[in-house]
Amino acid sequence: MITIENLEKVYKTEEIETTALNGINLHVATGEFVSIMGPSGCGKSTLLNVMGLLDKPESGSYKFIDTELLTLNDRERSNFRKRNMGFVFQNFNLIDELTVFENIELPLIYNKVPAGERKKLVNEIIGRMNIVNRSGHFPQQLSGGQQQRVAVARALVTKPKLVLADEPTGNLDSTHGNEVMELLCELNETGTTIVMVTHSSHDASFSNRIINLKDGHVISEKINKGKTEELI
Amino acid sequence: MFKLNLKIALRNLWKNKGITAINVGGLSIALAAFILVMMYFTYETSFDKKNPNYDNIYVVGRTFPDFKTNFTPPPLAKAIKEAFAEVVAVGKMKPSGFEFAAFTDQGTVFTKKQLFMEYEAAKMFNIIPEGGLEKPNGTETFYYLSKPYMQTLYPNKTDNKPEIVSFGSKAEPMSGQVKGSIVPNPHSNISFDAVSIVNEIGAGESYGYPNYYTYIQVKPGTDIATLESKINTLYQAELKKNGMIEEGENATVTTAFLDPLKNQHLRPKAGNDANYKVLIALSLLGFAILIIACINFTNLSIAQATKRAKEVGVKKVMGAFRYQLTAQFLIEILVQCFIATLLSLVIAEIILPQFNRLFLVDLTIWQIDNDLIWQLPIILVFITLIAGYYPAMVLSGFKPVAVLKGNFQTSRQTYWLRNSLLVTQFSVAVIFITGLLIINSQLKYMRTQDVGFNPNQVLRVKNIVYFNDPEKFAPIKEKILKVPGVKATTVANILPDGSETGSNGYTANGTQASLDFIDVDYDYFETLDIKLKEGRLFSAEFKGDAQNAAILNEAAVARFGLKDPIGKVVRGCNTDYTIVGVIKDFKANGFEKAVEPSIYSINNPCGNGKTEIMIKVDENQMAAVLATLKANWKDINKRDGDNFRYEFLDEMYGKLFKKQEQLQSVFFAAAMLTILIAILGLFAFAKYITNGRIKEIAVRKILGANDLQIFKLLNTSFFYMVMIANIISWPLAYILTKKWLETFVYRVDISALPFIISGLITVLLTIVTVTLQARAAVKANPVNALKYE
Ligand SMILES: Nc1ncnc2c1ncn2[C@@H]1O[C@H](COP(=O)(O)OP(=O)(O)OP(=O)(O)O)[C@@H](O)[C@H]1O
Ligand SMILES: [Mg+2]
Repeated sequence: MITIENLEKVYKTEEIETTALNGINLHVATGEFVSIMGPSGCGKSTLLNVMGLLDKPESGSYKFIDTELLTLNDRERSNFRKRNMGFVFQNFNLIDELTVFENIELPLIYNKVPAGERKKLVNEIIGRMNIVNRSGHFPQQLSGGQQQRVAVARALVTKPKLVLADEPTGNLDSTHGNEVMELLCELNETGTTIVMVTHSSHDASFSNRIINLKDGHVISEKINKGKTEELI
Repeated sequence: MFKLNLKIALRNLWKNKGITAINVGGLSIALAAFILVMMYFTYETSFDKKNPNYDNIYVVGRTFPDFKTNFTPPPLAKAIKEAFAEVVAVGKMKPSGFEFAAFTDQGTVFTKKQLFMEYEAAKMFNIIPEGGLEKPNGTETFYYLSKPYMQTLYPNKTDNKPEIVSFGSKAEPMSGQVKGSIVPNPHSNISFDAVSIVNEIGAGESYGYPNYYTYIQVKPGTDIATLESKINTLYQAELKKNGMIEEGENATVTTAFLDPLKNQHLRPKAGNDANYKVLIALSLLGFAILIIACINFTNLSIAQATKRAKEVGVKKVMGAFRYQLTAQFLIEILVQCFIATLLSLVIAEIILPQFNRLFLVDLTIWQIDNDLIWQLPIILVFITLIAGYYPAMVLSGFKPVAVLKGNFQTSRQTYWLRNSLLVTQFSVAVIFITGLLIINSQLKYMRTQDVGFNPNQVLRVKNIVYFNDPEKFAPIKEKILKVPGVKATTVANILPDGSETGSNGYTANGTQASLDFIDVDYDYFETLDIKLKEGRLFSAEFKGDAQNAAILNEAAVARFGLKDPIGKVVRGCNTDYTIVGVIKDFKANGFEKAVEPSIYSINNPCGNGKTEIMIKVDENQMAAVLATLKANWKDINKRDGDNFRYEFLDEMYGKLFKKQEQLQSVFFAAAMLTILIAILGLFAFAKYITNGRIKEIAVRKILGANDLQIFKLLNTSFFYMVMIANIISWPLAYILTKKWLETFVYRVDISALPFIISGLITVLLTIVTVTLQARAAVKANPVNALKYE
């Protein structure tokens, strides 16, 4: 589904240039669940942002199925993103002024889904996320785990082909972290491709494949045997 | 999507109630001021504008070497009408200088402003009496009184038929016919409370009687410059033809000019444009205040931007386009501005009576043909863009990658902008405070300075009789002086209340000079308590005083360069005057004009009629004197009748300060408003800044900082900003106030004090505001602040 070749990203500040991505090559197949790991500052978030079209690399190629994405203009990128991708962040990033229901509804609105259908889709996913009795609450009234479930629900409600998650369990304790991981796995089982950045090998063990980055390079890849066997 | 955006907007506004209130409140106050100024501007610039001939009506005036006048001789009008096809109508008017009493059995009224007007002028100015404008036959005169007068004179009148009314005093009444009533348009240059409409006025008068206003109406599209020069050529030819210019005399001593109707109210060529300048200054003030409030709005919106950053980031991740977000924020700000506009109308309505009193107008907001109906939406859009464009661009421009990392701070990006906006606000406030202080000191100076004469306890009695000959005034004087408590009385051609007298050429000591002439009676100087410098004052004991004695003021003596003036001769108006005395200069014209070189004489063949009766009264007997005069007036001054009407000279003189007092009120309001708005803005801004530094404060406190150090820390940057504002605006304030002071001949010096005071005021207010805001943060337990992070 995704083919990335020779991706380079350089941050220029007044004093120094940081090469955050230094010739990344990567392939992600449809329906795969890939984890990206590596030491802090190695470029994981940068890679994810580039994949999510939130950031532009200096050079390289990024093909999604057969479309080259790096040549798109801002408007096309926005359109592509809202039709195909969902995001989950470490710090949830829910809008404080909107209720749980409204937060989840937001991407549907940007995708111009009619109101009646929106209601159906949101309620459906709220049911799946086990937060039914919270739908009228504001984010501040929820626990961290609940907030992250809402964030996942928001990422999924448009049924994206690709979900990008940056340390989704980073701010959660292990119980809540596991809940979120299970959600992602369920989602993956229904066919959604997932790319997740994590520091936790426990979380990584939920995925099919683990990619290790260092200094903007891919240094190793590992097929998660356990997970694959489990699947069989 | 709109619904959801609206929800976000409303919940945000509600969450930040305080700041929203300050934002909207500050804006609405400023907007109210602006609306008032705009209404005033519209009103002042649209006199006669409803007249369909507005753009085609011109006044014919004349230019003399040192002044311009709209008074023209009647034959000129006729000559213009006959000579130029592009002039479609010519009409003359003549004001009457007197207050006339008109009475019936039911009541008495005093016409203060009578106009004699030609039918053609009435038509030109759309002057329509009740029942329609009728053309008089031949030499017929149609006399109309203003509606309220008619109602006083004929309370039971229901028809529109003419009535007979008496004029003058009951002892010697004249009677005449009133054709009907008229409702004068208060919004016209032609104002009157009684009007006589005839076919022609000044019919027999020659070029030597320049007592008429001439209005012409031209064909649309006429080239006015050409017409003006043609009229001037005609005027010169006419003067020559009628023997008004002698052989060898410079023909172009007086020239004719045209002045458009639209300039008559604010900046007539013959007159001054002080009102126009005041209007422009006022408009600039109103505009400045509005801009300041918008700046406030911008500043607070940007300050709060961090709170909205996450929303922007998330929405962008979900595929929102930038323009959608820009529009969203602009609409949010539009809604706030809209609320502010509604509020401002309420505020304006509350201030309006005060405003009307100050500017002597009668403006109303709620009226159908109010220009506000189209002006307000434009203003709304305008302030939305001024206040909202930048914040909307900043907010919608956030990069999601940066924002969503979690510890995003906008303050660095907009640091300079926010601070310079704050500095701008305070600079304007400093200018207004300094200006106000300097205006105050000049006004105080004007009120306390010795003006060289004493207008207190001097009555000016209204009178329609000429008392040019002292013998004619003598019996009246005798009767007035008999009233116990009257100290002195006199009559003169003008009052020392800033009124313009005439001037003429006089020669003395081989020097020719133009002097203002004041035609007086005995006891003029005594009544007004004017100080003698040398020689003596006029006295009935000297027979010659009523013929050819003159008293000069110091300025006149200086003008002629006279060493030993007493006994010298001044020649003017075909008369040789002997100088019998010199008086000290006194400020009859207030503080703006220098004392003119003047000559005082009892006899002046070139002078004007003496009608201004002045009576100096003993302070403690004022009430009794007034009562006695009122009771006896019909015996004292028969022609003027049963109606003893008076004014206090000190009040009339005080009117010279009216303009400055207006200015003072305006500056007071402006200074208060800008300070209020700046402080409101600072209050909210300081709160925001402090909140942003809560973690820093907590860390510092844990490391051992005490409260005072923290207060200092928070105040420092604001202190510097206010100091910078002061330093920027001091020179500006200095230049502006100096310019203003230069309009006075007699003025105070600018001292450093007003600048220091405004510096102190702004610094103090800033420290108090910031400290109040910082208190909560400083007093809070640092542990909570850190846990919260
Ligand atoms: N906006 C930026 N400007 C300059 N340098 C940046 C910027 N964002 C990231 N970097 C640098 O790019 C490199 C990669 O950053 P990135 O955020 O991708 O790391 P990461 O692998 O996600 O780290 P972590 O695990 O700590 O989140 C780092 O060295 C970082 O300092
Ligand atoms: Mg990261």
